[in-house]
Amino acid sequence: MGGLWRPGWRCVPFCGWRWIHPGSPTRAAERVEPFLRPEWSGTGGAERGLRWLGTWKRCSLRARHPALQPPRRPKSSNPFTRAQEEERRRQNKTTLTYVAAVAVGMLGASYAAVPLYRLYCQTTGLGGSAVAGHASDKIENMVPVKDRIIKISFNADVHASLQWNFRPQQTEIYVVPGETALAFYRAKNPTDKPCFCFEEQRLNPQEEVDMPVFFYIDPEFAEDPRMIKVDLITLSYTFFEAKEGHKLPVPGYN
Amino acid sequence: MSTAMNFGTKSFQPRPPDKGSFPLDHLGECKSFKEKFMKCLHNNNFENALCRKESKEYLECRMERKLMLQEPLEKLGFGDLTSGKSEAKK
Repeated sequence: MGGLWRPGWRCVPFCGWRWIHPGSPTRAAERVEPFLRPEWSGTGGAERGLRWLGTWKRCSLRARHPALQPPRRPKSSNPFTRAQEEERRRQNKTTLTYVAAVAVGMLGASYAAVPLYRLYCQTTGLGGSAVAGHASDKIENMVPVKDRIIKISFNADVHASLQWNFRPQQTEIYVVPGETALAFYRAKNPTDKPCFCFEEQRLNPQEEVDMPVFFYIDPEFAEDPRMIKVDLITLSYTFFEAKEGHKLPVPGYN
Repeated sequence: MSTAMNFGTKSFQPRPPDKGSFPLDHLGECKSFKEKFMKCLHNNNFENALCRKESKEYLECRMERKLMLQEPLEKLGFGDLTSGKSEAKK
């Protein structure tokens, strides 16, 4: 039961309504209430509603103005998912770069493997490649394996364009592994012009020379299981014509 | 042996002999020793083991006449022959 309640002019000043009934409080309240109700459809209420609409429209227009818009991002308009997408794209690009680098690296490695493997075989002697051991010490200390006799046959060839007579002086020789052996070839230059040997030693016209071959079979040959059935070895020499600065063709290895 | 250019096959790398190649004996200085050796081979049915003395003598001839680098005979695999000779000398 307090004082007078005069809501009138304070509540609805913008509507332009003025409270003209300062009468009893209860009656004033009764009069105020309808104005304050939202479904009041009088002109004042409509104006208020319009103004509300107007404000909302202005907000949305501001959002779509091109000058103020941020750069176009695909798909999502939500700033959080946009950032995630960016991050994902960057990660994808990095992964792709790494994968491409690995692929290129693998390709390069496959090309490099061939000469590297050959080098490795030569140094370690695996895979049957000949290893240059300490030859002179080995020769000194090697013991002939007397029970394994091997027949060495000799072959001599000349290149088609070379007109030398080149032949072995013995057709065969019997050696054992671990024993040094000597054999001879003979070369004759029947032409009237001097020729060069493969080591660039000249053979004069009509000259005939004896060419010794001093060799041995490694004693390990006798212990090699793959050589058990081998009893014949052929030594073959071929003469090629050597011109000045001419690089000899390397025979193919099958 | 093929002289065609095969890029895929393993190319044969010729290796020079360990001690190099003998210089040509143009003057035939050691020819007599060679003949002795060949005769020995013929007589012994081409068995190398029986003619090692002759081959040693041939190589000694070459070394004397500078047709071959001087090298102790033991390193050439004639250790048994040289030790035998030194024993005989004693």
